Amino acid sequence: MIPSIPQAAYARRLYATYVGAFFLYLFAPLAVVAVLGFNDSLFPALPWEGFTLDWFLSPGPRRVGLLHDQGLLRGMVTSAQVALWVAGLSVAVGTCNAFLFEQEEFPLKQALYALALTPLVIPGVILGISILLFSSTVAGAIEHWIGVEVEALRPGLPLVVLGQFSFITTLATLIISARLRKFDRSLEEAALNLGASRAVAIWTVTLRFLRPALLGAAAVAFLMSFENFNTTLFLVGSDATLPITMFISVRDGSTPVINAVSLLLMVGSAGIGLIGIFSGFEGKRP
Amino acid sequence: MSVRAQRLLGLAVFLTPALLWLLLLIVLPHVDLLLLSIRPKGGAGAVSPANYTRFFAEPIYWNTFARTAAYSILATFLTLLIAFPVAYYIAKVARGRAKGIMFLLCLLPFWVSELVRVYGWMILLRESGILSGLLVWTGLLPRPVEMLYNDLAILIGLVYTSMLFMVVPLVTVLDSLDDSLIEAAYDLGGTAPSILREIVIPHAMPGIAAGSIVVFMLTLGNYLTPALLGGKESLWFTEQIYNQFIIRFNWEQGSAFGFLLLILSSAIVWVGLRLTGQTLASAVQTR
Amino acid sequence: MTGPIDLEVRDVARSFGGFRAVQGVSFEIPKGSFFSILGPSGCGKTTLLRMIAGFLEPDAGDILIGGRSMLGVPPNRRPVNLIFQHLALFPMMSVAENVAYGLRRRGVGRAEIRERVEGMLTRIGLPGTGEKRIDQLSGGQKQRIAIARCLVLEPTALLLDEPLGALDLKLREQMKVELKLLQEQIGTTFVYITHDQSEALVMSDQVAVMNEGRFEQVDTPQGLYYRPQTAFVAGFVGESNRWQGAVAAAAGEEVRVRTREGMDLVARMADGLTAGHPVEVFVRPEGITLARAEAELGALPNRLAGTVETVLFDGAKSRVMVREARTGGEITAALPQSGRCADLAPGQTVHLGWEAGGGVCFRRAE
Ligand SMILES: Nc1ncnc2c1ncn2[C@@H]1O[C@H](COP(=O)(O)OP(=O)(O)OP(=O)(O)O)[C@@H](O)[C@H]1O
Ligand SMILES: [Mg+2]
Repeated sequence: MIPSIPQAAYARRLYATYVGAFFLYLFAPLAVVAVLGFNDSLFPALPWEGFTLDWFLSPGPRRVGLLHDQGLLRGMVTSAQVALWVAGLSVAVGTCNAFLFEQEEFPLKQALYALALTPLVIPGVILGISILLFSSTVAGAIEHWIGVEVEALRPGLPLVVLGQFSFITTLATLIISARLRKFDRSLEEAALNLGASRAVAIWTVTLRFLRPALLGAAAVAFLMSFENFNTTLFLVGSDATLPITMFISVRDGSTPVINAVSLLLMVGSAGIGLIGIFSGFEGKRP
Repeated sequence: MSVRAQRLLGLAVFLTPALLWLLLLIVLPHVDLLLLSIRPKGGAGAVSPANYTRFFAEPIYWNTFARTAAYSILATFLTLLIAFPVAYYIAKVARGRAKGIMFLLCLLPFWVSELVRVYGWMILLRESGILSGLLVWTGLLPRPVEMLYNDLAILIGLVYTSMLFMVVPLVTVLDSLDDSLIEAAYDLGGTAPSILREIVIPHAMPGIAAGSIVVFMLTLGNYLTPALLGGKESLWFTEQIYNQFIIRFNWEQGSAFGFLLLILSSAIVWVGLRLTGQTLASAVQTR
Repeated sequence: MTGPIDLEVRDVARSFGGFRAVQGVSFEIPKGSFFSILGPSGCGKTTLLRMIAGFLEPDAGDILIGGRSMLGVPPNRRPVNLIFQHLALFPMMSVAENVAYGLRRRGVGRAEIRERVEGMLTRIGLPGTGEKRIDQLSGGQKQRIAIARCLVLEPTALLLDEPLGALDLKLREQMKVELKLLQEQIGTTFVYITHDQSEALVMSDQVAVMNEGRFEQVDTPQGLYYRPQTAFVAGFVGESNRWQGAVAAAAGEEVRVRTREGMDLVARMADGLTAGHPVEVFVRPEGITLARAEAELGALPNRLAGTVETVLFDGAKSRVMVREARTGGEITAALPQSGRCADLAPGQTVHLGWEAGGGVCFRRAE
C-alpha cells in the first residue's frame, strides 16, 4: 500500500513489474518509430537492414529524405506558423480571461466561467464542423449584403488558427488563472498606492509575477496546436499542416521518412514540453 | 475619471475578448450547427426533422453511433483500470526523485503528436510489424498475422492515446491523500482491498471523474485513431460525419450527426459529473 | 502501581541512513497506566511510537505487547492502536462509520456494531453525533472521535502521538484534563507522546524524558520535578536558574560550589563529585524565598542580596529578576503567592535564600 506498511515481497515485486510493463507499453510505439527511422529499408518495418541516415538526408530520387521532402517541410512550416499564431492569441486572451475570472466581479460570472470551460468537453470534430459552418454562413452573408468575398472565412489557415484557438484558449486560461490565484493582490495595491495606474500596476507587477505561467501556457498551446488533427481536418484548405500531411502518407502507406519526421517531432516536443514543465508546471497542476 | 468609471473600463477590457471568443467561436457556431441540422438538403428556409429521421431509419448510422458510444465507454473504463495502479504507484509508493521522474515519463509520450503515437502502433501491429515478427520468431505463431484493422487495435490505440488524461488527474488526487489515513485504516485492522475500497477510491473520486470525462469525450470525438488503426471499416461515428461533410458534401446531414454526437457527449459528461458529485469546474481543474 | 506488564520495550534501536534516531531504549508499562514520552522536537519520539505500532521495524531489540513479541507482526494485527498527530479521521465517512471502521473489519454484526458505536459515543460524551460529517466537528470533538475509533476495538494499549498539538491553547488545557479523566475511567493503557512538559506532568503516572534518541530518566512527574537524575532533565522539566562552576568542597549529599560569577552555593549532588569537578547547578525559581530584610531568611544556607531588575507579572507564575549585588549574576525568583512582595519595584534591594536541597548539581562535560 505505502512503504510504511509491510507487504509480502512477491506482491511488491509483482506491482513493480506491472508498473515496469506499463512504461514499456508507453514507450514501445515511440521507440520502434524512432529506431526504424534509421533502417536501411524502403519500409518502416523489420527486418533490420542496417543503419542509414538516408531518411533524413538523401536527396532522392529513390529515397527522399526529410530534408528534401517538400511536402513534409512545407507542412512543418505551416504547422509552426499556425502554432505560433495560436500560442500568441490564446495566451493573450487567456490572460485577459484569467484577470476577468479571478479579479473582476460582474453579473453571471459563474455562468460565463462555465461557458468558458465547455470547449474542453466538446469533441474536437464538432468544434471543427461548427466553425466551418458558421464561417461559411458569415462569408455567405457578407457576400450577399456587401458583395465582397472574404477569403479568410473559407477553409484555410486563418480558420485553422481560429478553430484551434477556440479550445486551446480554455487551457491557457486555466494555466494562467491557477498562477494568478496565488498572486497576493496587496502587491498590486502597493503599486497603486505608490502612484501607478491600474494598467501600469498590472504591467509592472502582476504580469511579471505571471511570467512563468505565460511561458508555460504558450508552450502547451504551441504543442497542442502543432499536433492538432481532429479540429484542423475540417478547416484546412490547400495548405496542409504537418499532421494532415503525415496522416495522408501514413494512411496510404509510408516510407521511413515518416519515422524521421516523427523522431524530429519527439525531440522538438520533448524540448518544448520541458520548457512548459519547468515554467508553468505549477499552473498545469493547480 | 471617476473610480467607478475606471473600474468599468477595466471590466470592459477584460470582458470583451472573452465575449468575442465565446460568442463567435463557441455559441454562434453551435447554434448554426443546430439550425443547419434541421434544414433539408438544398431546401432553404424550411424546418424539417428529415436529417434526424434518416439517422434513425438507416441502421448503419445508428449502429455506428451506438457502437462508438459503447467502445468509448469501454475504452474509458480500460484506461482507468490500467492507469489507476500506475498513478497510485507514482503518488503513494514511489518516493523522492523516482516519483518526479516517473511522473515526467508518463507525460513525455503525450507531447508528441497523436499521429506519431498511432503510427507507432501501426508499425507494431501490422502483418509485417514488430509484434507479429516477434511471435513468429519465438515460435508462438507459424506465420505472420495481421493485427491491425480490427476493433482490438482501435481499442489499444484509443486507450494508449487517452492515458495521459487519466494518469495526471489521478496522480494529483492521490497525491493529496494523506498517508496517515491509510496507516490509520491499516492500524484499525484494514486490509489492502478494504482500504482501497473504503478510503482510496472514495478519496480519488474527483480525479476519477475528471479523467473519465475527458477521456470519454476525447475518445468519442476521435477521428485519427479509428481511421488509421481500424482501416476503411472502422465504423466510428466521426467518420460518418467526415464522409457527410467532405466526401458527400451533405452539410445538413453532417450537422445532424455532429449535433447528435455533441448531445451524447454532453449527456455522458453531465451524468458523470452527477454520479460523482462534481462540477465542470472542479473536474477540468484537476488536470 | 505495579500490575501485569502491558507493553515492554527492550533495547530498541533504529537508524535512518546512518542517523541514529532511537538507540538503546528500554522500558515497561504496567497495565492501565498513563505513560508519557517527553522530549524536544526531533528526539525520536514518533520513531519509537511507530515502531511500537508496527509502521517501522526496529534495527535491534524487541517489543512485547501483553508478553508476546511483536517483531514481524504487521500493524493491523497488533493489539495496539495509534492516534495520529493530525488524527487521520476518514473524511469520506460519517462519525459513526469512522468509529465502526475497525469493528467492520473484524466482521462484527451490524446490530452489534450500531450498539457498540453508540455506546462508545456516549462514553466520550458525544451521543447522537453519529450522522455528522467529520468536517462538522470542532477540534476537541474530532479529538474524542479519534480516540473513540480506537477504544471501541478495546486495544491493549492506545498510542497517542501529540494529539493535542493541533489544538489552540485554551482547548489544549481543557483536553488535557478530559484525556486524563477518560483514561482513568476506561482504564486502558495510554502511551502518550508530547514535547509539552505540562501535558506530560499533568496527565501521566510515569514520564520518560527522551533526548537524542535515548531515555534520560523514567519516573513519576514528581520524581522528575524534584529529583532529576541528569542535567538534561533538570533543565528540560520545569524552569531553573542555571549556573556553571566548580566544586569547592563535597560532604555527603551536599556540595559547595563556586560559580563562574563568584557566587558560593550549597546544593544537593546527583552523582559522586569531588572538589575541583566542573559542574552545573540548577535552582528552581519557585524554591527561592524572597525577603525585604535578611533576617526574614532565617537559617537558609544559600543567601544572596541584590537589586530588582524587572518584575514579570504573570498571575500565579509571576517572576522577579534580581541582579546579585556582589557578583552581578542574574537570578530569577518566583513572586510569592501571598502577595507579600507584590509591590516590589525595579531598583529596590531584596534578599534571596534557599535550602541546600533547593539546588541540584551535575557534573559538566568540558
Ligand atoms: N523516514 C525517515 N527518514 C530519515 N530520517 C528520519 C525519518 N523519520 C524520522 N527521521 C529523523 O529521525 C529523527 C527523529 O524523528 P521523529 O519523527 O521520531 O522525532 P519526534 O521526536 O517525533 O519529533 P517531533 O516532536 O518534531 O514530532 C529526526 O531527526 C528525523 O529527521
Ligand atoms: Mg513526532
